[in-house]
Parts: sequence; C-alpha cells; structure tokens
Amino acid sequence: MEESYTTAIRLHGVTKQFDGASAPAVDALDLEVPAGSIVALIGPSGCGKTTTLRMINRLIEPTSGRIEINGVDALEQPAVELRRDIGYVIQQVGLFPHRTIAQNIATVPRTLGWDNDRIRERTAGLVELVGLDHAMLDRYPDELSGGQQQRVGVARALAADPPVLLMDEPFGAVDPIVRGSLQNELMDLQQQVHKTIVLVTHDIDEALKLADRIALMNVGGVLEQFASPDELLRDPANEFVERFVGEDRVMKRLQLATVADLPFHQGPVVAASATPVEAREVMRASGSAWVGLTDRGAFLGWVHGPDVHDDGPLTDAPRSLPAAQVGRDSTLRRAMEIIMTSRTSVAVVDDGGRFGGVITLEQIRAGLDQGPEVIAA
Amino acid sequence: MIPVLAQSAQPFFRWSYLIDEWDQIQAALLQHLQLTVLSVAAGLVLSAMLAATALRYRWTTTPITSFTGILYTLPSVALFALLAPVFGTQAVATAVIPLTMFTLLILVTNIIAGFQSVPGPVKDAANGMGLTPTARVLTVELPLASPLILAGIRIATVSTIGLVTVAGIIGQGGLGRLIFDGLNRRFDTPTIIGAVFSILLALLMDALLLAASRAATPWTRRARA
Amino acid sequence: MDVTLAQAALPREISLSEFLFSAELWTRDDGILDTLVDTAVLCGAVVLAATLVAVPLAAYLAHHGRGEIAVTWMVTLSRAVPTLAVAALLVPVSLRIGLGFEPWPIFIALLLLALPQIYINTYAAIRGADRGVVGAARGMGLTESAVLWRVEAALAGAVIMTSIRVAAVQVIATEPLRAFLGGDGLGRYVRDGLGQNSPSQIVGGTILIGLFAASTALAFRGAERLALPRGVTRLSSNAT
Repeated sequence: MEESYTTAIRLHGVTKQFDGASAPAVDALDLEVPAGSIVALIGPSGCGKTTTLRMINRLIEPTSGRIEINGVDALEQPAVELRRDIGYVIQQVGLFPHRTIAQNIATVPRTLGWDNDRIRERTAGLVELVGLDHAMLDRYPDELSGGQQQRVGVARALAADPPVLLMDEPFGAVDPIVRGSLQNELMDLQQQVHKTIVLVTHDIDEALKLADRIALMNVGGVLEQFASPDELLRDPANEFVERFVGEDRVMKRLQLATVADLPFHQGPVVAASATPVEAREVMRASGSAWVGLTDRGAFLGWVHGPDVHDDGPLTDAPRSLPAAQVGRDSTLRRAMEIIMTSRTSVAVVDDGGRFGGVITLEQIRAGLDQGPEVIAA
Repeated sequence: MIPVLAQSAQPFFRWSYLIDEWDQIQAALLQHLQLTVLSVAAGLVLSAMLAATALRYRWTTTPITSFTGILYTLPSVALFALLAPVFGTQAVATAVIPLTMFTLLILVTNIIAGFQSVPGPVKDAANGMGLTPTARVLTVELPLASPLILAGIRIATVSTIGLVTVAGIIGQGGLGRLIFDGLNRRFDTPTIIGAVFSILLALLMDALLLAASRAATPWTRRARA
Repeated sequence: MDVTLAQAALPREISLSEFLFSAELWTRDDGILDTLVDTAVLCGAVVLAATLVAVPLAAYLAHHGRGEIAVTWMVTLSRAVPTLAVAALLVPVSLRIGLGFEPWPIFIALLLLALPQIYINTYAAIRGADRGVVGAARGMGLTESAVLWRVEAALAGAVIMTSIRVAAVQVIATEPLRAFLGGDGLGRYVRDGLGQNSPSQIVGGTILIGLFAASTALAFRGAERLALPRGVTRLSSNAT
C-alpha cells in the first residue's frame, strides 16, 4: 500500500554510541515521518526511543547518520537555531517556575525577537487553543494542577508555530483520567494545527490511539516494525511485535476502527408505507426474523416477523424501541457491544439523525479480515 | 584580680554618651558596615568562582567544600592577630581577609546547592527550546538558584556583622572597637553601645535582606491552592 | 591591650621553636600545659552543659512536635547575636555583682554559641527520624519513652553527635576571645604576641589552638565510631 505524502523528518542510518557503552543505544536507524502526521516511538526501556527523539533536536548528537527536517540537514545548522523551529514537550513539563504562564509561553517568541503586541496576541490565542482560562496567564506554574501544567507545556512548545513537535512521554506524569482527556485534546488540537509530531511513549494504547504510524523499537535501537496502528495489530512483523502489542490484538483493532470504516448496507428495512407482502419478501430475502421500519429517513423500530399481519398497515404491529443504535464514528467495539445486547443481532447506524443502514457481526468479522483502510479506500 | 571598686560609682549606662559621642558611634557604625559589605562582596566573588569550578568539575566539589569548611573553623582572633604583623593593624586587608574567609563556607555551599536545586527537566526544556547556554544560565538557572544564594548572602552578612566586632582586638572592627575601648577603660557605656548596636545591626540586616530576597523571588511564595 | 595583668609574659624575641618545644615553658607554673588544661576545662564545661541542656530538651519537644517556632527564632538569634557582644555585655554585669572578669561572661557567651547549634540539630534529627520506623515501633507496642529513647534518639544519634563535635570545635575556636576579655586560656599567647609585636607568639598560640581543636575533632570522631551502631554511622555521612 503506497501513500503519497511529503516526508517532514527523515532519519538515515542514525546511530548513537554513548561513551563507555558496549552496544549502541540506537543502531543505524532509518525512519521517515510524514508531514502532518503523528508518529509514535515505542518499545521497552533501553530501546533508544527517547535517545532517537532527542537526536532530532540534537539534545543528543548522533554518532553517525543523517537527519533531515523538511529537506534541511539538521546536523548542518546551529543546534540552538534548529531547536527554535522544533516544539519540545517533556513528561515533567519543565515549566520555568520563576516565570508566569504568559512568560513561559512567550519564551521562544521572545528569543526570536517578536514585538510585545504579537507575543500578547499569540499567547492569548494559544491559551485558548489548549483549553485554559485567561486568568491563568499571570499565575506561576506551581499554582496550576499537573494537567494544566502539561497544557501550558504544549502551548509553550507551539508558541512560535514550529512545523515539528517532539513529545517525550507527554502524558506520563498525570493520572489516567486526565491523561485520557489530554490525549483527546491533543487529537482535536492536531485537527487544527496539522503539525508533524514525534511522540515517545511506553504505553501501547496511547500509541494506538494517537499515532498515524507507530515505530516499534527493540533494545539497542533496532526498528522492529514501522506501520499504521491497524497494520501493527493485524499483521505483526514478528514474535517480538506480537508480544509487545499484547494478546488482545483483535479487541484493540475493534477499538481503533469505526463504523464508518465498514461497508454497512440497508439491511432488512422497508418504508413504513410498504405492504406486509413487501415486508415478508425483504425478510425472506435477507433470512431475517425481523424487519425494520423507516419513515422519511428516520428509523422507527423493529417488527418481529410473526407480528406482520396482512389486515393492516405495518405501523400497527408492535415495534421494539429503536435503542440499538450506533453513530458512524462509534468504534467497532461499541458496535459489537450493541449487537450483543440487541434482540435483533444488528446495530442500526445513526447517520446524523437519519437511518444509515445496519451492521452485523458478520460484517465486523469481514472488516477485520481485510483491514479497515482497505475497505475505506 | 582587677580592682573593681574604682568604677562602682560609675553608672551602668551613661545616656549622655549617646549624644556627646554620637560622631564616634556613627563612625564606628559606618566602619562596621564598610567592613561587612567589603567582606561579603569579596566573599561572593571568590565563592562564585569556587562554586563555578565545583559545578563544572564535579571532582573538585568535595575538596572545595572541605577547604572552606576548614577555613570556617579557624579561630577568628588568631587570624586577625596573624595578619596584623603582615599588613599592619590598621590595614583594611587585615580585617577583611579573615572576614572574607569566614563567608566562603556558607556562600559556596549555598551557591552550589542553589544551582543543583534547578530541576533537570527545567534545564532540559530550556535547551530544547533553543536557549543558548549563556541565556539558560542567566535567565533560568540563576533566578531559580537565587532563593538559596540570597539566603546564603543573608546568613553570611549577619554572621560577618558579628565577627567584625572581633576585629576590635586589632583596633578596627567598627562597633567592636567601642567594645574593647570600653573594656580597656573600664567604662561600660561604649562596651554596651558596641554590643547592643552590633546585635541590632545584625537583626536589622537580617530583616532587610529577608524582605529583599522575598521581593526578588515572588514565585516562591505562591503555591497551588 | 592592657585588660589583663600580663602575668608571666614571655620575652618578645622568643622564637617559634623555643615557644613550642621548650619543656620549661610547657611545665612551669602557669605554663603552656596549665593554660591548655585551663582552656580544656572551660571548653569541656561549656560543651557538657550545652549538651545536657539541649539534647534532652530538644528531644522531648521534637518528639511531641512542640516548639517548632522557637527553633526558627533560635536559628536567627544564634547568628545575629555574636559571642563577643554577649560576653562584652556580661563583663560589666559580672564585675558589678562581684564575679570578676572571668569565667562567667565568657562561659555564658560560649554556652549561647554551642547550645543553639546542638539544640537545632537534635530537634531536626529527632523530627526527621524515619516516620515509618517510628510508626512500626509504636505498632510493636513500645512505650512512648521507649520510642523516643530507643528508636528516635538512636536514629538521630549520629546527627546529634556530629552537632556536638561541630559545636565543640567552634567553642575552642572562639574561646581565645577570653584572653581579650580579661581572662587567659590559649588566646593569651595571641594577645601577648599582638601586644608585644611578637609574631612567633601569635603563630605559636594559633598552632596550639588549632592542634587542640583538631585533636578534639578527632577524638569526637573516634567516639562516634565506637558509640554508634554501624547501621547508624552510615547515616551520619548524609548528615551535616
């Protein structure tokens, strides 16, 4: 499967050998990060994921190899200037305790010599972007909660609008509930800013959730597989990858793919104005014991076959409430849950208030075999 | 021992002395402050160099702190007396060199501790954002080290004010001179003035420097509600 | 400086080696040996008194979590109130009530130097004794006084002994002031040297004071090693 994209960050044969270490921390690593995408570096401790990240902004100098950022050799330009074009977010946030939130966010713009008005405008915009209150601007970092501090960390990294963002376990130090919402916020944010993001994490679920592509690394800085989350789950390159992603690969894929990824169809559904004969015909053709009624695009409910009588309109028959519905953006896992608890064994797709079709377990299974992006393509 | 009877008629404290000899008291206060400021300033310069060495070359930390620790335990009386024949009793150096030596321990310790108290992630973030090493040290590390450095300066200043009085044994020492003057003349008033004023001066400087360092580090006083 | 009667003053031209190595100077009446003993007695009395007052009081208050503010004040006051000022203020008082120049003013001044030092460190050490260990001791049913003396004090022992040592060295380094306040002690050689413009006496006196301080510190270190259980001495390397 070939995708067309421009490469924002290209690592070619990048090796890091620390003084006194017997083996390299990163060994001849090749990696291409597509522009505007999120790539997660993940692997067990000692796999060199953080080292790799820190070589991109040259907080660690590579022993050998080539690093290109948007076509420019990163090793050729002065490190401090390179870093001003790369946002950097770390787990412990590293906000400057002696500076207010506004001053923290303004760090790079001030270094770049922006004027005060521009800085003020930018700071205010960023605070909104990351979902913080303007009242926070004059506070000191220690007055904020961990989650708020991490939002400021992201805002500070985005301040000079760098095309590239490096994140080193950005949500590792906050509690699971805050982590979940910060992850969601990052995805929303990415919809607006379209940065090229390299994210180091040790949490496979975080990588699957956030990343467009995952680079799974092994001890010694060896790249085991570089693939989309679904590909990684569907088709692990080797036993190491298989073990790392865990046993519940299928469930994780169900969590990743959405209803929209499946080619759901109309199902045994007729208009409420249809005749009983037409309704029985639809049931017979699809082998269903139930028939669904729609009225001008709205789903009215399911009617059980024996309840369909010839002496009256279909709407006279007792109907189940149309409770078993999923949205197009629901995960397949959610759809499966609905199907399992529905008497009709199907979930109705709610396409923005209109009837969008039905989904069955068979369709989900077929989708898993093929891989959603194939279907969606 | 010493004939005590002769002074029994003398009042314990002669208030008129405060007015009559005010010029002398003022001069003593001024000299006291001068010696203190000179010694702490010299100590600060030396300590900055020693601390920079210790922070830059890790292995020098223990020798440097041990050395300043030994200096601190030297008998002050002996140091003033030792330098007196070298520079002369009235030379500023005779008073300032020992006083400077005594400030080194607290200043070096606190400067090192101050810079070591800067959290690693903060330095990492500063580097990651493209601050130059000089900018990082001056705009991030120094401010964050300043609460401890300022505390060191405060303690050194207050201790030095106390030690300056000892320089009275070589005829310097600002208020210390009044103390020994009074003792030698069996006249209690200057002794009491010297002692009380040196204590008041130390407490005053302690309060002033504490207020100044609080004003200079506003972020240390606010914490998460 | 004519505060004291310069009894048994040494000749001005004395050389350093004569000063340090003449058996006669050491052993004669009111000689170096007598002076050393005199100094040792005063310093020993000061440190002993400071320890006997400070350690139990600090331990008791720290154990019950009381008097925290007093410690803060003590830290400030012990820095701001110089030993010389205290002694100088006490001399006229002492003279007036007929106790003479010596030894009460210098004794009290040195006591005020040593006591806060030991008190502050003891208090902090007992407060800082591992709360987990103390909780476990209570859990095992030790009485409160057993918790204090057998657990907290044992854990804090290293820090307390270090603070007594540091206080002792400071007392010895400050005691020579006594010679300038109408007394004697090892500082007399510094004083006389200064008065007679005799550097060898100043240097010799300084050497004596330094040796006395250093050997005291060594003796304390030896005692610490003997007295403290090995698990605790390892802790003292982390203490100041």
